[in-house]
Amino acid sequence: MDASHAPPSAATLDKTLKAMAGVVGAAATFATQEDCDAYSDRFPIDPHRHRPFAAVAPTSAEQVQALVRIAAAHRVPIWTVSRGKNLGYGTAAPVVASSIVLDLSRMQQITVDVENATVLLEPGVGFYDLYDYLQTRNIPLWLSVPGNSWGSVIGNALDRGLGYTPYGENTRNLCGMEVVLPDGDMVRTGMGAMPNAPSWQLHKYGYGPAWDQLFVQSNFGIVTKAGMWLMPQPQIVRGFDVEMDRMEDLGPLIDVIGPLRREGVLQQSPTIGNWFRAANILTTRKQWTDKAGSLSDDVIAAIRKQFGLGWWGVSLRLYGRETVVQANMDILEKALNAIKPMSMKPFSWRPGEPFTPTQGGWMGVPMTFPLQSANWFGGRGGHIGFSPVLTQSGKLAMEQFNRTYARYKEFGMDYQASFAFGERHLLNVNAILLNLDDPQFMKRVDPFLRTLIADARQHGYGEYRAHIDYMDTVADCYDYNNHALRRLNERVKDALDPVGILSPGKSGIWPAAYRKEGKA
Amino acid sequence: MRGVILLGLASLISLGAQAADLDGKMLFHQKCEMCHGAAGMGTGLLARRMKPEVAPLEKRDDLSAAYVERAARIGILNMPPITRGDVSDAQLASIARYLSKGKP
Repeated sequence: MDASHAPPSAATLDKTLKAMAGVVGAAATFATQEDCDAYSDRFPIDPHRHRPFAAVAPTSAEQVQALVRIAAAHRVPIWTVSRGKNLGYGTAAPVVASSIVLDLSRMQQITVDVENATVLLEPGVGFYDLYDYLQTRNIPLWLSVPGNSWGSVIGNALDRGLGYTPYGENTRNLCGMEVVLPDGDMVRTGMGAMPNAPSWQLHKYGYGPAWDQLFVQSNFGIVTKAGMWLMPQPQIVRGFDVEMDRMEDLGPLIDVIGPLRREGVLQQSPTIGNWFRAANILTTRKQWTDKAGSLSDDVIAAIRKQFGLGWWGVSLRLYGRETVVQANMDILEKALNAIKPMSMKPFSWRPGEPFTPTQGGWMGVPMTFPLQSANWFGGRGGHIGFSPVLTQSGKLAMEQFNRTYARYKEFGMDYQASFAFGERHLLNVNAILLNLDDPQFMKRVDPFLRTLIADARQHGYGEYRAHIDYMDTVADCYDYNNHALRRLNERVKDALDPVGILSPGKSGIWPAAYRKEGKA
Repeated sequence: MRGVILLGLASLISLGAQAADLDGKMLFHQKCEMCHGAAGMGTGLLARRMKPEVAPLEKRDDLSAAYVERAARIGILNMPPITRGDVSDAQLASIARYLSKGKP
């Protein structure tokens, strides 16, 4: 399905925006060409495909309710972003061009419950905002930050983003939400449904069906507040930075980490990355080769040597009480030695001790330096992800790696991969580094991604998250029983949002009015 | 590291420095420093094109306010444009005043 639905007329859009400006004020209504550029996708395959009509920035849930009612009355689609920094997945841009972006950046309330290690947040709070809030008050609670921490804490959890601590699966830390529904009604989930319950951020389910995950990666409502669990600062952090020399070491490395993760010796979400994931932050391509196509083995060897990188690397971390961490260090060291790492550097940190910015991610400190990879080709770049869900099997992951690497070579792309452990699954987060200054290069990206998605689908591997251009394609892979899941999503969508105004096309979920236009 | 910087700011506030400059400095910290601070992406990439010691924007003495505002709104190379929802025109003007050290 695509966005072939007849768009609202210019007159309707103007009228809608004027009504919205009446709610948020002219100073929070953005409709110049420059505004529309700024709210478009920064890492686009086609920069013109997802241009919004305008953006509005409410400051309260009540304003969000009013804006939703206006959108419904005029049948104008709105696309909600928390801070609009979802680089690699569409940034602030809507699936449907000429939507009005609902930018929640200015909703920035933070309410921390220190004793219970929870926070109630509005969507405009970024990782840096929350980090500063906690640091300036000496509150010993930690975040779980993604590799680029520019965005919203809530937004990241709502898109199932990942961090690197024991709280690394950010969507699992959600506990209780306030949600504006497409008709402007407002609901609080979990214990929040009981007015004044002291346990809104403590018990995830309340009574009856638990709705939180229905507002994750969906377009059923607008989350205006959400609770998150924060990690109490541990007594000590220890672990190893491990480098493995050979390509074929991936399988054994996965088979060593998997059982320790499932057993709970490892409680963080370790991410195995290839040499390129580390190197493309530190250097640019032109320093090594002027040849187009995938990097040759010689060039790879030279870059690895320069930066002391294995083909694969992983940072394993243990957190908690000293005695427990010591016991688990012994277990970890023995297990790793058995697969003969190229290098294995111990790490240790106690509260108050300094650490380098590159170590901060494992202690929940926000960072942006990994985005230096955008400069890999020397000019304007970016990335787009291909992230199928695998099992924690070294053999199957090696097979998927071999297939994927062969495709990267076939399409002349430089291979960036990571394998991120969940508690049971393995996310194979691949990045395609973009060269936005090279139109010929950019033309290869779309067929390349579609090939990767089709390959993975054959093996039962679907993606956990997608760029706005691939939401339909990815959703289409989840097609058991003649797309029963999509049909269910559509039934819920139609019941909650009969006019079809909230983020049409998000995660491949289209309102009825758009579905009538036929499939792409 | 950011915590340390903030403590420095707090003591500056107590010294009662000029309100407008302070606002710009604080806003720079809130809105820009994630990329243009010590270990940020912007500083890392600028250090590839100029002397590393002047790669952090606060160390520059060649920025005009008009340039800062334009750069932020339309983006430069790998810097994305900063939306007006994120940083209002008034906030950006303060930041630009602070970074330009008074140059128009």
